[in-house]
Amino acid sequence: MASIRRVKGENLYIRYLILSCWGLFCLMPVLWFLSIGFRPRTEIITAQPIYFPTLSLDAWHMIWSDWPMAKYLRNSVAAIFGSVMIDLVLAIPAAYSLSRYEYRGREDIGFYILSTRMMAPAIVAIPIFFLFRNLGLLDTIWALMLVYAAINLSIVTWIIRSYMTDIPRELEDAARTDGAGDLRILWEIIIPAILPGIITAAVIAMIFVINEFLFTLLIASTPDAYTMSVALANFTGGSDGVIYNAIALVAFLAFVPVFLVVIAIQKHLSRGLTMGAVKG
Amino acid sequence: MAQIELKGVSKRWGAVWGVRKVDIEIADKELLVLLGPSGCGKTTTMRMIAGLEDPSEGEITFDGEVMNAVDARDRDVAMVFQGYALYPNMSIYENIRFPLRMRNVPKDKQDELVRRAAKMVELSDYLNRKPGALSGGQRQRAALARAIVREPQIFLMDEPLSNLDAQLRQAMRVQIKYIQRELQITTVYVTHDQIEAMTLADRIVVMQGGAVQQVGTPDEIYSDPANTFVASFIGAPPMNLIDGMIKDGNFVADHVEVPDVGIKTTGQIRLGIRPEDCAVVSSAEQRHNMKGDVYGVEPTGDMTVLTLRVGEKNLEIKADRDYRSELGVQENVVFDTNRLYFFDSQSGERVR
Amino acid sequence: MHDSSLSDTRSAPATTAVTKTRFRRRSKWLRAWFPYLLVAPAVIYLLGITLYPGIYAIVQSFYAVKFGPWNPVGFNNYVKLWGDYQFWGALWNTLLMGTISLTLQCVLALTLAFHAYRDPWVRGWRIIFLVPMLFMPSAVAFIYKLMFLDARVFSDILIRFGLVDGNLAIQSSIWGSRALLILTDVWQWTPFLFIIFVAALQGQDEEIEEAARLDGATWAKIFWNISLPLMRPVIAVALVIRGIDITTMFANVFIVTKGGPAFGTETISYFIYRTGFKFFNFGYASAASVIMLVLTIIVAQVVVKRAFKSARG
Ligand SMILES: Nc1ncnc2c1ncn2[C@@H]1O[C@H](COP(=O)(O)OP(=O)(O)O)[C@@H](O)[C@H]1O
Ligand SMILES: [Mg+2]
Repeated sequence: MASIRRVKGENLYIRYLILSCWGLFCLMPVLWFLSIGFRPRTEIITAQPIYFPTLSLDAWHMIWSDWPMAKYLRNSVAAIFGSVMIDLVLAIPAAYSLSRYEYRGREDIGFYILSTRMMAPAIVAIPIFFLFRNLGLLDTIWALMLVYAAINLSIVTWIIRSYMTDIPRELEDAARTDGAGDLRILWEIIIPAILPGIITAAVIAMIFVINEFLFTLLIASTPDAYTMSVALANFTGGSDGVIYNAIALVAFLAFVPVFLVVIAIQKHLSRGLTMGAVKG
Repeated sequence: MAQIELKGVSKRWGAVWGVRKVDIEIADKELLVLLGPSGCGKTTTMRMIAGLEDPSEGEITFDGEVMNAVDARDRDVAMVFQGYALYPNMSIYENIRFPLRMRNVPKDKQDELVRRAAKMVELSDYLNRKPGALSGGQRQRAALARAIVREPQIFLMDEPLSNLDAQLRQAMRVQIKYIQRELQITTVYVTHDQIEAMTLADRIVVMQGGAVQQVGTPDEIYSDPANTFVASFIGAPPMNLIDGMIKDGNFVADHVEVPDVGIKTTGQIRLGIRPEDCAVVSSAEQRHNMKGDVYGVEPTGDMTVLTLRVGEKNLEIKADRDYRSELGVQENVVFDTNRLYFFDSQSGERVR
Repeated sequence: MHDSSLSDTRSAPATTAVTKTRFRRRSKWLRAWFPYLLVAPAVIYLLGITLYPGIYAIVQSFYAVKFGPWNPVGFNNYVKLWGDYQFWGALWNTLLMGTISLTLQCVLALTLAFHAYRDPWVRGWRIIFLVPMLFMPSAVAFIYKLMFLDARVFSDILIRFGLVDGNLAIQSSIWGSRALLILTDVWQWTPFLFIIFVAALQGQDEEIEEAARLDGATWAKIFWNISLPLMRPVIAVALVIRGIDITTMFANVFIVTKGGPAFGTETISYFIYRTGFKFFNFGYASAASVIMLVLTIIVAQVVVKRAFKSARG
């Protein structure tokens, strides 16, 4: 253990005690998730909590046969994927403009884009609800896509802008003297060079969209447009009460792919989460 | 294959002047070096020639045609950057091919041209690598190949060697000069390194504070400087400048006296003398122009740089390679009176 | 300027005809407007989704809107809000729970980050700590509800350890419910700050710390006098982002407490939702939205702008 870096006066036992305690605190509810997901319904709410339940695949069968879980999953994926696509198409040129040109109002425009991230969903919920109702888009994944894209556009723009700012100006000048136009430079030079940043932005956007709840609840009021997160909130199963084991299982299944993707971009995570303000 | 002219070109950002009223004519096939300390506006001048920056005032012409409104991509100039600016996601081959692709050169021709350019800079074996997998010198040559591949009408090079170590720099310098002669392309080369400027240039433009100080061949710049800035910027160690007076045709200053300097004016003046035009005399009885105490002795192998404390100032002298001395010893120095320079003590302009 | 020089025969041996064929001239107009054209789609999109709803909410806030027609009521909605103790309560709850939760998260994340960033297994710690953040908040809310309310696991554990002798009535205690919401948020979102703080600490110049160590500073001194001040801009940005998400908290309230008991955990977001979509009192809800919008704009202009400016350099 001689190689572990520490400062004078720092106690390694305390370091590992603190870190392990928090680690346990993080993981205990996850274990609880799993134990709920794989127990029969009868053992969930009992007079005395059951810590070592019988293993059961009730929930597994229920989500795939009793509910159109595959459809909810498809809705979620489609809404998330579509919204991220919209974001990239809008954010890449915007970020390019904000990071590469000098013009009047640039800072204000950048800040306006950022400030939309600060807006509480509840503030715009009612007008957006009416807007989509009037457009006949309520209960469609198109509406979800549009709203999700709006929620994340600021984040995606700022993350990409931060990566673009890091590209030396010389690179662009070289391409220009070599005979490339603005859009060509963007497409052939800038985008390939900041691909990790673009992926980071997409992943962060994905995390935030999966977390989105209020809009989804309002816009998707029938099972046709349910996403996983709202479907869960509606799994109250009528007279049966909340079907906890199904919820836990679905949440865990949804967690796994997200976890893998996030581990893949671990290095860029802090930069993404702060919209480029902190370079990891 | 182009003659370039800058007419009263200025660039400013708000109150900041990058370049002030610069007039330069660059002859066809010439290799012109822009020389000056960092921040003097060299890069800005070059970027305006390339079309990457719009001049605030003035006009830039190629072969007499005004280029101000022509985009960089349409000017047919190629640029080599200090940081190389290789496209990180493309292989060296793709990097060199990029300008050809942008100009719609026929496919089969592209390959031939790329290989020829790579051969010229001795990179044929590295074409499949990414820039990240090359050394500094190789990257530099890849950037050069990308510039020469389409034989532009003008080459622009912005401190292309400043990130290389001394030995490599010397080799690359020779290579650049050779290629430029071979291809006969008008070239503007920016550097803050006077050795580079002296060895490469047909003509040198010395800049300072955004303005041109002097234009001339390396010889002219060295032996006929127009003002104290040029005089002290060129040469290592730089020219010694001594403030004094002209009295009865003689130059007089603290511990310095030079008779019959042949200057008509009287009063305050500044004398310039290069370290190699001074010599230490062996005895105090001999004729000498200056007295000082030894302040430093730096043998460099081929010579010894001697620093003398003369009054309040340190002056440098290139002494013989065998010269050695204790500190504090008084030495007498004689000047080569054919190589004296006089400057106005206020403006710094040359007085003839 | 170009026109005059073209007619200047002294300097231009080439004719204008040749000039046109040899060099393409760019359009000044396009040059000047191109950057605006690039940001325009994003800005228009965002305006559509913020400005339109903003104006809509402002207009609607002057009407009584139930199901049918809009009846103009002037400032009535605002006057009513002014005297609505539930609205003020929601505002207070939002601030109260937000402040406690944010403070806790910040202190915990800093402590953890400071102990972890020099550790050889920092990547491993990060992955473990990251886990809660990646669960769907709605599912997290359900599981916490189950653990603390429906299945009473928490009470049961305390009883087994002999710390209490009966089931805790978390559900019927205002502070119990608030604590539960805060706990859920702390569990799920402390990692957000942790990841950012670790990155910031790792990005700090080691030499500064080493110099301090050579000067004999202990770790506590290094933390307070060197690491923490250097991290200030980062902490500001992270807290701003997190603070905004906390004050707009909705899912947890909706699932775990429904704002109860006695409106003790009702946040502004939930208040607007309840007024609008439970009681279909849209005009009134819009008035509350407008007030929240105004608060947001003030916070954005004053706090957020500054935080991001200092963090970017
Ligand atoms: N985009 C810019 N905005 C403001 N000032 C600039 C800009 N680019 C260069 N300058 C200023 O113009 C001067 C000349 O810069 P530059 O041409 O890069 O000098 P050099 O290449 O000789 O080192 C410097 O003082 C620099 O600070
Ligand atoms: Mg420069």
